[in-house]
Amino acid sequence: MDIGVYIQILVWGIYAGCIYILLAIGLNLIFGVMKVVNFAHGELLMFGAYATFWIYTFSGLNPYLVIPLAMIILAILGVFIERLCFRPIMGTGKLNEIFLSLGLIYLFQNLAAVFWTTDSRSIHSPFSNVSISIGSINLPVDYIIIIAITAICLIALQLFMKKATLGRAMRATSQNREAATLMGINVERMDMLSFALGAAFAATAGSLCLITGQMVNPYVGSIPAIEAFAVVIIGGLGSIPGAIIAGLTLGIAENVVPLLMQSSVGLLGIEMSFSAWKDTIAFIILIIVLVIRPTGIFGEKEE
Amino acid sequence: MKLDRLNIKTGIEVVTLILAFLLPLILGINQYLLTVLILMLVFTMYASAWNLLATSGQGSLGHAAFFGIGGYVSAIISNSFGLPVLLTIVIGGFFAAAIGVLIGLTCVRLKAWFLAMVTFGFAIIIQTITVELSGLTGGWDGLPAKKLVPVTITNHVMYEYYIILAIAVVVTVIIYMIMKSKMGLALEAIRENELEAKVMGINVTVYKLKAFAASAFFTGIAGALEIHHFGYVTPEVYGIDISFWPIIYSVSGGLYTIGGPILGTVVITTIWEVLRSFGMTYGRFILIGLILILIVIFLPKGLISIPEKIRSKFLKN
Repeated sequence: MDIGVYIQILVWGIYAGCIYILLAIGLNLIFGVMKVVNFAHGELLMFGAYATFWIYTFSGLNPYLVIPLAMIILAILGVFIERLCFRPIMGTGKLNEIFLSLGLIYLFQNLAAVFWTTDSRSIHSPFSNVSISIGSINLPVDYIIIIAITAICLIALQLFMKKATLGRAMRATSQNREAATLMGINVERMDMLSFALGAAFAATAGSLCLITGQMVNPYVGSIPAIEAFAVVIIGGLGSIPGAIIAGLTLGIAENVVPLLMQSSVGLLGIEMSFSAWKDTIAFIILIIVLVIRPTGIFGEKEE
Repeated sequence: MKLDRLNIKTGIEVVTLILAFLLPLILGINQYLLTVLILMLVFTMYASAWNLLATSGQGSLGHAAFFGIGGYVSAIISNSFGLPVLLTIVIGGFFAAAIGVLIGLTCVRLKAWFLAMVTFGFAIIIQTITVELSGLTGGWDGLPAKKLVPVTITNHVMYEYYIILAIAVVVTVIIYMIMKSKMGLALEAIRENELEAKVMGINVTVYKLKAFAASAFFTGIAGALEIHHFGYVTPEVYGIDISFWPIIYSVSGGLYTIGGPILGTVVITTIWEVLRSFGMTYGRFILIGLILILIVIFLPKGLISIPEKIRSKFLKN
C-alpha cells in the first residue's frame, strides 16, 4: 500500500476526530460547570442533524449556512433539558445522572422515530464533487471545510472563555462554584449557558455528519457519543486541550490501526480484516489509559 | 393483635411466592403468558444481580457482557459435551464470574462515569470477540442451544417455568443473605464513602471484586437460563438494551433493596407487555424513558418506597 492511502486515511481520521472533539468539548463544558455528565449527548447530535436536514429541505439554503440555525434550536433545547431534568437531581449522586441520561436516550430516540420515522435520510453537500488533488492524494473540499469549521468553533470558544465577561464567569464557576456565587455570579445561569453551548456544539457535529453524506436516523447519535465519552475520559474530564488531543488521536487511531494490523498480518501471509474492530479500538485505548491513570491523561485529581 | 412491619413484609413475600406458583394454573397454560412470566423471572434475577453490584457503588452499564458469556458458555458446553443443561448453566455462571473478576480488577480504582464507560466498553469488546471467534460461536448467526426441558414433553413450557421459578427463589434468597451479611454492610459502606470504609478496616478492593464476582455469577446464570429457554443464542445477547434493562428495573423498583429490582421488573415488564398488546412500538420506549426520568427526579428510592412515603405523610397529620 502506498503512502497516499495512509494520508487519505489520516485525513479521514482527522475528520472523524473533529466530530468527536465537537461532542467532547460540549460534554467537558457541561462537566466543568455543573459536574454532571450528560450521557444523552449523542441524541443532541441526532436532533442537530435533523434540524439541519429539515431546514435545508424546506429552505434549500446552502447546508453550511443552516448550521447556525440548528445551533440556536439545539441551544434552546439544551436549556430545557438542563432546567427540567438535570437541575432537580444536582447533588443527588453521580449514578442518578447516568440513570436520568438513560431515560433521556430512550425518550429522544423514540420521539424522533415517532416524528420522523426510522428511515435513513441524507443530503448532498453542494461541494460533494469538488476535491483537491495533490499528487495521488484526493481531498474532498467538504473535509477541509469541516476541519476549518471545527477550528473556528474552538478558537471562538477559547476567545469567549478568555475575553468575554460571561466566559470568565463560566470559568470561575467551574473552578469554584461557591466562591463564584460569593462574587455575585449567577451560577444557575452559568449551568444553563454551559448546556446551551454544549448542545450547540453537538448540533454542529450532527450537521457536519449530515452534510458529509452520513445517513441520519434516530439512532445515529449513539456511536459518536460513545466515542466522544471515550475521548472525554481519555483526555480527562473537564480538560479542553485533553479533548482536542484525545479526539484527534482516537479519530486517527481507529482508522489507521485496523489498516496497520491488516497489512502487518498480511506480511505474515494471513489475509484478515480488522474493520469489525473499529468501534472496539476506542474502548481498548480507554481501558488501557484508565488502568494506568484512573482520571484520564489530563484529568485533575478528583476530590 | 397488631401487625408489625416485619409481619406485613413476610406476608407480602409469602403471597408473592404463592401467586408466582399458582399464576400459570390461574391463567391457564397459555404459551405466550408463560413466556412472558419466564422472562420476568429471568430478569428479576438479572436485575437483582445488577443491583447487588450497584450496592457497592459500582453502576455497570455493560452487564450484558456477563449475561451473554453465561449464555454462550452454557450453550457451547452443553452442545459439545452433552452435559445436562442445569449443570452447564452453573458452569456458565462461574465463567461469567471469572470474567467479572477480571473486569472488576480494571474497575477497582474507577469512579462513577469512568466505571460506567469501561463496563460499557467491555460489553462491546466481548461482543466483538464472540463474533470473531466464529468457529466456536457461529459468528453473527449464533448457536443452537438445548431447551431447558425437551420440547417432546407435553407442557414443557410450564415445567420450564417452575424450574426457573425455583432457581429464581434460590438466587433471590442467596442475594438476600449476601445483602444482609457483613459483606452487604461493607458494600453499603463503600458506596456511601469509600475512604471512610477503608479507614474502618474494610478491604475495599476485595469487597468490590467479590461484588463483581457474585453479580456476574448470577447474571451469567440468568443469561444461560434465557438462552436455554429460547433454544438459541446470538451476539444480540450482548446488546446495549440488555445492559440497560436491569438498570431500568432496579431504578424504578428501588435501588439497593432486595424487593426493588423484583418489583421493578414485574411492574415495568407488565407495562411493557400491556403496551405491546396495544400495538405500540416506539411509544413503549418513550413511556419507559419518561418513567425512568420521573422516578429519578421525584421518587429516587423507587416504587418500593411508596408505602413508606404514604406512611410518613400519614404520621405527620
